[in-house]
Amino acid sequence: MDELFMILTRLLMGIGHLALFIVAAPLLQGFIKKSKAFWQMRQGPPILQPYRDLRKLMKKEELISEHASWIFLLTPRITLAATLMAVLVIPGVWGWAPLSVWGDLFLLGASLGLVRLFLTLSGLEGAGTFGGMGSSRELFLGLLTEPALLLGLIVLAFITDTTSLQGITSGLLSISPLYIPRILALVALVMVSITEMGRIPMDNPDTHLELTMIHEGMLIEYSGPSLALLNFAEQIKQLLLLVLLAQIIWPSGLISVSDGLLGMLLALGFAGAKVAALGFFFATVESLFVKRRLFRAPHYLATSTASAILALISLWIIRGQI
Amino acid sequence: MVTKESQFVRQLLMGLSIALAGVGLILGTILISQGGVWIKTGLRFITEAGAGFSLTWKLDGLTVFFLFILLLGQGLSSLYALGYLKEYEEKKKSLWSFYVNWFLFLGSMIGVLLANDGFTFLLTWEMMSLFSFFLVLYEHEDAQNRKSAYIYFVMTHVATVLLTTAVLFLYALTGSFSFEVWAGAVPSLSTIQLNLIFVAFFIGFGTKAGFVPFHIWLPYAHSAAPSPVSALMSGVMVKVALYLFIRLVWLTLGPGPVWWGWLFLLIGALSALVGILSASVQSDLKKLLAFSTIENVGILGMALGSAFLARSWNNAWAMDLAFAAFFWHSLQHMLFKSLLFMGAGNIIQATHTRNLERLGGLLKRMPKTGLAALIGIIGITALPPLGGFWGELMLFQSLWVNTFHLAGGWSKVILPLSIGILALVGGLSMATFVKWFGVSFLGQARSPVAERAKEAHPVQYIAPLIVGGLAVLGVLWPSATFALIDLPLSVLRSGDSVQIRSSLGMPLNLSSIYLILLILLTVIIVFLSKRGIHRVTATWNCGGPLTPSMQYTAGGLTNPIRVLFTKVLGSHRQVDGDYAGTRYSLRSLTYEGRIKEVFEDIFYRPTLRGLLWLSSQILKLQAGSIHLYLGYLLVTVVVVLILGR
Repeated sequence: MDELFMILTRLLMGIGHLALFIVAAPLLQGFIKKSKAFWQMRQGPPILQPYRDLRKLMKKEELISEHASWIFLLTPRITLAATLMAVLVIPGVWGWAPLSVWGDLFLLGASLGLVRLFLTLSGLEGAGTFGGMGSSRELFLGLLTEPALLLGLIVLAFITDTTSLQGITSGLLSISPLYIPRILALVALVMVSITEMGRIPMDNPDTHLELTMIHEGMLIEYSGPSLALLNFAEQIKQLLLLVLLAQIIWPSGLISVSDGLLGMLLALGFAGAKVAALGFFFATVESLFVKRRLFRAPHYLATSTASAILALISLWIIRGQI
Repeated sequence: MVTKESQFVRQLLMGLSIALAGVGLILGTILISQGGVWIKTGLRFITEAGAGFSLTWKLDGLTVFFLFILLLGQGLSSLYALGYLKEYEEKKKSLWSFYVNWFLFLGSMIGVLLANDGFTFLLTWEMMSLFSFFLVLYEHEDAQNRKSAYIYFVMTHVATVLLTTAVLFLYALTGSFSFEVWAGAVPSLSTIQLNLIFVAFFIGFGTKAGFVPFHIWLPYAHSAAPSPVSALMSGVMVKVALYLFIRLVWLTLGPGPVWWGWLFLLIGALSALVGILSASVQSDLKKLLAFSTIENVGILGMALGSAFLARSWNNAWAMDLAFAAFFWHSLQHMLFKSLLFMGAGNIIQATHTRNLERLGGLLKRMPKTGLAALIGIIGITALPPLGGFWGELMLFQSLWVNTFHLAGGWSKVILPLSIGILALVGGLSMATFVKWFGVSFLGQARSPVAERAKEAHPVQYIAPLIVGGLAVLGVLWPSATFALIDLPLSVLRSGDSVQIRSSLGMPLNLSSIYLILLILLTVIIVFLSKRGIHRVTATWNCGGPLTPSMQYTAGGLTNPIRVLFTKVLGSHRQVDGDYAGTRYSLRSLTYEGRIKEVFEDIFYRPTLRGLLWLSSQILKLQAGSIHLYLGYLLVTVVVVLILGR
């Protein structure tokens, strides 16, 4: 009976974890848009606009290209599902991840990889040029981001002696925020996150201009509910990356029911503030820089990979193992 | 047309092949479930070959695991061949040479797996090479296939020369062909002798497995063979070569110095990277798959390397992980590569082209083949929820554990870097297979042949769908695979055999949880979002008409990769325009893109030139003068007389 109770609790906590991400994702998008508007001295759309956009799209009629197959309609669904699977390994606002076993940091990259596979396939569905262009570029950026993402996370895994993301973030509590390997790994992860979120200087989330688009290029044939799902999945991905970064920069540690309702609410507020600050930071970065040419992307991502490798070397040097 | 008689023969023989595989699998399962010490120590058989020679065989857990892979591959590709071979009958091409070589090839592979002494091994190994050579040569009308088979023949014999030398050397040192005697004599060998034997084995087996830089034949041979044979060669034969690494290097020569492990790791990483880079720029359906085999062999080589290093460093946990990854991935790669070759075979029979640039939109015309192929690409790109990912997860973890428990040194940087390389390989393989699948199955048909394509014979899509089903089952029920992996591990681990599953713990049970959760979430989302109105319209094309040539081509899709890795790929392009007066009015434009085989330039051509030079020097002995030849005879006679005194 106790065991059943345990399983049920864990299940409910897992659903709560997912629900929190689902509810908060559009809010973050609204906040980032607002922050960008701030730097551009515009008023910008209201902070709740992403929710309204999603609702509007869900109600609209959907147009499907005559060349598209069933994969075209499957992609938005599986994209959202795989993104949610990635959320399951992210330590949330209470430092707890529903799935935490050894090796789950690889699961993060792989789940996002599944998203990328289906998105790039769908880009080719419409038989047009724009979709293919988006897919081609996304695949190119994807293969460059993956090593940097994994190496960055692995350095953190070495620092904290575990390959589980939950373990990493709770292990980082006892490490100084100015520990050099940690900072270098963080630099790598921040640079990768910008690419993964499809933001300037790698991609421009705001335009459909063929010269700049990568992510938007793959979505160009989508409309109605499918587009809503894809946008929503992208917003969740953005939130999960920011939550992970926030937990790495300033981990909150494991907070459980024993800390009381107030403690849990405080942790929620603290996490919200951290993510908002990071969102503002990325909006600022996006306002300060211009988008780079595609063939400049390798340099940018090589910098990120190099930073991760330096983090690794510096870690062993500091520990006196080289 | 197909005659009754030939149809009967085909069904009988392929049916026999399937039945044999089925009986073997069932017998094996019964034998395994009985358990017993033979899994660790082995059952021995001896066949008297006459003239004082006897062939010895041994069946132990390691052999059983690879036999399992072989029989599974045999059953599935025989089922596929049942449909595939029909086309040859329609073309009135005799199938007898195919049937005979098919059975002999399979039989000799079983022989290699069972062989327990050097002589038996060399005999069966040479038979395996020879019969697979005949199978590659089956479509010998095509000059290209003859060239491919020739390259294979030469390369495989260079390997055999080295292996024969090593085996005879060991015989000279120990006076026996038996593997067990060799293993017993290894501690008394000098380091130089041991390393020489190791290098000979490494090159010999590495050539068959497709390690870079001995991989040159693999893309030619695997793509020239009929598709069921390609499936067997890529799915099973390379595993047989890898099996020998374990049997003859790990168990017989081992543990060996640390650099053996490093060699496996580095050559593995190189193979993975070079294989997948070459695959990503291919636009030949089957050659791309063959290059991806090199990549996967590289990944398996890295797993072996991690295991060797873990043994040198006494890290049992990392070794278990590395071997679990190795065996898991061997099985998964066999499934997915067979599946993809079957898919490629269906496309080729439907369109009669292997060129991706002429395909497109096949998913609508060949939906079942397409479904199977989609499962295949998710598996082969090592993405969850399918099995390819879980093998790589164990490899990642093994490399991580290996690094973590090292006391110090630059190894602690190089090992994690190989994780980075694996990640890069993963990204590249995604690009490769999105291209393979996306360009052939999605979008619009790029040529009339693709437009006329029809779904293959039911057997031909049922076979790959069964493979896909098995792959999904393997993930849903990981304990079955782990029960299988326990067999070779009990041979390889010293001391008690450990239930690998319980020692690996949670993450592998996760594979089924992940799959179920993902499907559940997808179903929920589909259910929540189905209340939509759909309308089928044209693709938006800025108002102009959409032609098939507006799509991204296979070459274009991975062009950024080609540009970035120009140096590695030796890619070269030339664009010539035919202008009418000014540069603004263009009559025609020719584009030529070429990928050079870099290793052909930096490794094979110099070697070949050296050999030719050497031959030309030796040629001087053969001056054409009869007096000189008589002189040689005289000298020979004298020397023989002196020696035979």
